[in-house]
Amino acid sequence: MTSAETIPAEKQRETFVLNLGPQHPATHGVLRVKMTMDGEYVVRAEPVCGYIHRMQEKMGENRTYAQFLPNTSRIDYLSAMTYTHAFVGAIERAMKIQVPPRAEYIRVITSELNRISSHLVWWGAFLLDLGGFTPLLYAFDDREKILDLLEGITGSRLTYSYFRIGGLYNDVDDAFLKGTRQFVAQMRPRLQMYRALVTENIILRKRLIGIGPIRAEMCRKYGATGPVIRGSGVAYDVRKIEPYSVYPNFDFVAPTFPEGDSMARYLVRMEEMAQSLRIIEQGLDKLPAGPVMAEKVPRVLKLPPGDYCYAVEAARGRFAVRIVSDGKEIPYRVKLRSPSLSNLSLFEEASRGMLLPDALALMGSLDLVIPDIDR
Amino acid sequence: MEPQNDAQILKDCLPYVKFAKLDELLALGRANSLWPLTFGLACCAIEMMAAGASRFDLARFGAEVFRPSPRQADVMIVAGTVNKKMALAVKTLYDQMAEPKWVIAMGNCAISGGPFVFPGQYAVIEGVDKLFPVDVYIPGCPPRPEALIEGLLKLEEKLTGKRRWPVVTPK
Amino acid sequence: MNPTLPLSIPFQPVDYAAKGCHFDAVIAPDKVVEAAALLDAEGFVLDTITGVDWMAEGQMEVVYDFFRLEKALRVAVRTRIPRDNPEIATISGVYPGANWHERETHDFFGIHFTGHPDMTPFLLPEDATYHPLRKDFVA
Repeated sequence: MTSAETIPAEKQRETFVLNLGPQHPATHGVLRVKMTMDGEYVVRAEPVCGYIHRMQEKMGENRTYAQFLPNTSRIDYLSAMTYTHAFVGAIERAMKIQVPPRAEYIRVITSELNRISSHLVWWGAFLLDLGGFTPLLYAFDDREKILDLLEGITGSRLTYSYFRIGGLYNDVDDAFLKGTRQFVAQMRPRLQMYRALVTENIILRKRLIGIGPIRAEMCRKYGATGPVIRGSGVAYDVRKIEPYSVYPNFDFVAPTFPEGDSMARYLVRMEEMAQSLRIIEQGLDKLPAGPVMAEKVPRVLKLPPGDYCYAVEAARGRFAVRIVSDGKEIPYRVKLRSPSLSNLSLFEEASRGMLLPDALALMGSLDLVIPDIDR
Repeated sequence: MEPQNDAQILKDCLPYVKFAKLDELLALGRANSLWPLTFGLACCAIEMMAAGASRFDLARFGAEVFRPSPRQADVMIVAGTVNKKMALAVKTLYDQMAEPKWVIAMGNCAISGGPFVFPGQYAVIEGVDKLFPVDVYIPGCPPRPEALIEGLLKLEEKLTGKRRWPVVTPK
Repeated sequence: MNPTLPLSIPFQPVDYAAKGCHFDAVIAPDKVVEAAALLDAEGFVLDTITGVDWMAEGQMEVVYDFFRLEKALRVAVRTRIPRDNPEIATISGVYPGANWHERETHDFFGIHFTGHPDMTPFLLPEDATYHPLRKDFVA
């Protein structure tokens, strides 16, 4: 009995506005939600964004294509590799640059490592929201191992800018290959431990099962993608439906759960980590030799006039780039399609009549990174 | 009992009794238990969380207790870009913190606007020291967790006059 | 022609390998809501709404991107409106997700979406009166 419609009419008049944020301990970033509350029930939750608007699209019009690469890492810093992939992919499509196979495979391996590290941060922070502090420490411990591997080849822990137009900045060395295999071997038992200790924990199950149901039709109307739509029974994953790079060569599953509640979205991400480990292993096995940078990439890039698009499956959902070029070396318009914006846009409708802690559990299960919304 | 002179009594007591100025004692207490305000704005927040997590462990320095409420916090670690829309909220939080309070500007955005400063920029405050005084600046984009710990140690040095660990210079 | 595409929208095939889009249509601004309703009935998802300021031509372009969930099919519907008084009907009655995309486009370009329930600034400060992605914007 959590619907606002079952609250007696005389109580419905006594509402107050609770301001959540922009600074609040749920570590999603600077999001403000104006919640009209009836006691503990949410009557209306209105997200207010823009507190971390950093003019990414305006900077796209002020930077050359190569100069914009660091920006791509900072839009969604937890899933930075995939965002850079979308941007360089659009340019490579436009200029018909052939990326060497070795670079494509390394792009997939590093993107999947990035996906696991992003899901680990989500997992730790989500459990922090629900009240459990310890999983955050375990998650960050595993994440440090991934960051060590990626730092060895990219030089950076968080905002990589590793992909370049035409390939990669740097080839991988033996230390990376050996270290990644070791990481995969020790991560699988860790995921099983997380399943036993957290996923099958009665408190977590009571907090998440049946909470925040989102139907597939609502996801379609709002454009929600990623684990949000896969947790509502629709097997939409850009890597499977609109494949890019060398993903067709890999054998993996995009996990889908039909229930549509917060537990389903949680299980999607936990299972995605296991699937990413499979992809990484296959990538290491199939890694071809060769160069990591395309030949004859022009130093000054001028895309032919027109629109160029590229979509990737980032950790949070579908990230797409649309570059409008007028033939100059600076783009005319760079449009970044943010998965977190579409995922959050259904929060207002989905959270009506929920208890406040349940609404926060729903928001955590959407996995938002606010600089991705505000760009 | 034989009368002992005061100097001898003092010498005997020294292993057990210490003398200090009250200010120095308070400074030592404050420096060793700086409670940060949870104020992660953007990418630097993740490195701040990593500094608080198990590998880098801010708890060794007494600073793992991140308080969400500004009334209970000593130091505001501004980790991330401050926006014109956010500036009022940041200033309000700073004003709400009780004295003594300190500010650490973590990352290039908090120091001077970071990579988001370009001619014609309309949204970013170029450095949080335009809003209120900053005690320690930690450059980096994002700075490593070790850099944040070094910044905290520098703040401790500012409070107490002494550094907790010796400076290690690479050979 | 693709069987799921509504016939009344003038879609032209596009080279996907070069452009990343399968079909593209240019329509009049007063047909936008009808096109969105037709695509919604076929089960398309609204990807995003992009504004482009073609200052030299005195026009603003609004690009609506759609995609499908069960197979790779991306379509773009474009329309152009005069730059001096940019107005276009809202599609948020068809796609509730368009609500925020249109607010963002209004923030950046000043395009007014008639019929939209809430045209207050979304990413800019609440009292902002400037539109930063216009080509004649001066900070």
